[in-house]
Order: sequence, then C-alpha cells, then structure tokens
Amino acid sequence: MKKRVSFVLALLVMLAAGCGRAAATRYQAQFLQLFDTVTTIVGYADTEAQFREISDQIRKQLEQYHQLYDIYHDYEGVNNIKTINDNAGIAPVAVDQRIIDLLLFARDIHGQTGGKVNVAMGSVLSLWHDYREAGTEDPAEAELPPMELLQGAAGHTSIEAVLIDEEASTVYLTDPAMSLDVGAMAKGYAVEQIARQLESEGVQSLLLSVGGNVRAIGGKILNQDNQEFYWTIGIQNPDKTSDQAELFALMIEGLSVVSSGVYERYYTVNDIRYHHIIDPETLMPAGRFAQVTLICPDSGLADALSTYIFSLPAEEGQRLIESMDGVEACWVDSEGTVLYSSGFQDYIKEK
Amino acid sequence: MKFAGKRDIVIIAILVLAAILSWVLYTDILGKKGTYAEIYYRSERVKTVALTPGREESFSIPQEPDVVFRLYEDGSIAFVRSDCPDQVCVHSGKLSLAGQQAACLPNLVYVKIVSDKADPDAPDLYI
Repeated sequence: MKKRVSFVLALLVMLAAGCGRAAATRYQAQFLQLFDTVTTIVGYADTEAQFREISDQIRKQLEQYHQLYDIYHDYEGVNNIKTINDNAGIAPVAVDQRIIDLLLFARDIHGQTGGKVNVAMGSVLSLWHDYREAGTEDPAEAELPPMELLQGAAGHTSIEAVLIDEEASTVYLTDPAMSLDVGAMAKGYAVEQIARQLESEGVQSLLLSVGGNVRAIGGKILNQDNQEFYWTIGIQNPDKTSDQAELFALMIEGLSVVSSGVYERYYTVNDIRYHHIIDPETLMPAGRFAQVTLICPDSGLADALSTYIFSLPAEEGQRLIESMDGVEACWVDSEGTVLYSSGFQDYIKEK
Repeated sequence: MKFAGKRDIVIIAILVLAAILSWVLYTDILGKKGTYAEIYYRSERVKTVALTPGREESFSIPQEPDVVFRLYEDGSIAFVRSDCPDQVCVHSGKLSLAGQQAACLPNLVYVKIVSDKADPDAPDLYI
C-alpha cells in the first residue's frame, strides 16, 4: 500500500512539474543609441533583475566599443577611429587595445578577401554617405557622386598606409587624404568579443543582436533542468512588397547569423535605387543581390564575409564559402531567386 | 503486490485528464489573444496597438508627430513618414510577425511586434 501511495504521489509531482514547472521567463531589452542600429538582447531568467544585470553589462561594454569604433563623433577622453582619421598624415594616435585588435583583424580579412573588404576605403565610402544623405533629404536634387571624385578618392585606400604599432599601441595613417571606415565588420567584431567574454564568465544562454548581426550563446534554456533548445532566427524577405514577410527561419545554437540587405539603407536617383554596400572595384553599389545571409561561429568573420560575398559573382562566392569550414551562406538575387551553400538548408526550420 | 490497482488507474486517468484539460484551457482560451505593435519613444513604451486585420488608419505619437505610422487591413503596421535624414524606418516596410522590429533612430522611435499567443515555435527574433 505504501508503495502504491508513493507511486501515485510521484505521478502527481511529475504532472504538477509538467504543468507548472518553474519555467524561466523570456526577457528582451533593446537600445537604439549604439552603432547606428537597434541592439536586442533576448534571454530567459528567473527574475527581471537577473536579466537586467546582464543586459546592463552588455550595454556598457557595447557602448565602449561603439565609442572606440565611431568614425563620426568625438568622445571626451577617448581616442577613437575618428581621432585616427583626423590625424591622417599628421601623427600616430595612441589607442585602446580594442582598436588595435580590430585593425589587426581587418588586415587579416583584407588579405583573405584579396582586398575586397578594406577598412581603408573610408574616402570612397564617405563620398557615398554624403551624397546618400543629401539625396534622401532632398530627393528632387538627389545625385550620384561623380566618378572622377570616386576615382580620386580610390587612390587613397591603401591598407599599407595604415601603420599599426602594437608595442606602442598606436595607429598612424601615412596618407593625409585617407580615412578608415570599419562599418563592414566593427559591429560583428564587437558582438563576438562581448559574447566570448560572457561565455568565459559562465553565461550559458543568451541571444545578442546588433543590427543584422546575431550571436547566440548556447541554446535557449527554458527550464531549470538545463535542457537546451535551438534559438530561432527569422530571416525577413528582402522583397518588401511581398505578402510573405518571412523568407525562412534558422535554428542555431552557439552560432552567429548575419544578414546584409540593400532594402533599408538606400536612396533613389532618377528612379534607380542606390544602396550602401559599395564594390571596391567598380566604386558603385554592388548590384547582384538583394540579400546575403551568413552562418558561422565567429560574428566578426560573418559580418566581414557577408560584405565580401555581396560584391562577388554567385559562383565565386559559393566556391569561397564551400572552401571554408563551418561557414554557410544564402544569396537572394534581385529577382528573388534563392541560392544556398551545401549545408545551409540544414539550419532552416521545417514549416 | 500488483504494480497498480484499479483505484490507482482511475486516479491516474483523472490526473491525466485534468492535465490535458488545463493545458487545453491554458493554450486555447487564455493563450490566444493576438498580435500587437508596441511603440517606444526614448525607451519608454508609449502606445500599444492591436494588429487586428480589417482596419486601416494612420496615426502618430504625441511625443513625435513627425513620425507617422499606418495600420493596414492585412494586420500589419509600417512607418510611412518621418522627417529623419536616412528614411531607414520607412524602408523597413510592413511588420506583422511577432519578433519583427523597426526603428527610426534619429527620432528615437522604435516599434516591435509582440504576441501573447503561446507559440514556442515562433522565431525569437527577425533580422
């Protein structure tokens, strides 16, 4: 009889646990002030205070990276990328180790991509930036930057002219007409560094997104039994006129997903759209794709690669992705045709 | 001794039924309410709009009258006008799925789509 009672009791406990297990609550925080985009943090925690503690810590760290990697603004007591640009041809600038590390990473990427991802292209990108802003503000007067101006600027984009002195922790641009623009990788790189820091501190589950740069720490842990589930990342349809808002959803654990599209940051000149991803060879917006999505463990690499394969012909991009371990990609061309690398579809959630 | 007697089986059956019933009640009746757009200004939630299909109207928030939203008949919402220099908010297009978000950064206006349907399969985030 005793056994029977305990059996029924055990069953009761199991059922109660099944219905009302102390499931962690989903929390989400977002900030608008960093990296000129929306930062989102998603996590499951027992209390809001627990989640707040970690999201505040991330915000503080991201803010430091944002200030260091900013090319448009000055911050009191901070030497940042803008300070380096302002001192081009004048003097080396003493900078934080996080700037040195980013620029060493950028030099690496420059080598790996045959110069197609080049942080020294600031002179060209700033021309496009200025014409785009002016043309968005006053569409009737929108113009393209004149090719001779672009070509003139392209003469001042040599990565060799970026002198990094690791020992002195200084950076010096030897060409006074050049400038750095780290937009193609700074967000992803910062996200990766922060995620690694959190992982080393024992954080097991979190989703961090800065703009289109998503980095998952572990899977999502909904219950106290530490069982992990995949994070699901929806990829939006680049065709904003379509009834189908979602292209597909990706299921990831501890990986990064980066999606680059041309449908948000663009301006129109004579009824033609000109977006913000500039091909370093033609000095014009890369015209082949509407969207490129990358999956790989390192968010910095994913960010840089997404920019790179945006300006590569599909076959060349596919060859590159297939040659890299643990990297998958998906291309959507301007007609809406979707192309996948060999392992990409394994991450797509079945409907 | 038998593994479980008749009385136990009845108790188990009742418990299982009760569990199923409460689960159905929870997900079907309490869980299905709908999808909403939450609008934030300077990180404060200032408006929540039900994304109910069939209704079409434009509105703005008092804190930022130069940013105009439109609710569409298909149950979606979009930024349709803003005085910002980049128009990224307007280019973001219609939003309708829980987890989608868009922002007008220069004006510090942010909208996210939320749902109180208990759907564990919905994406955690859209990019």
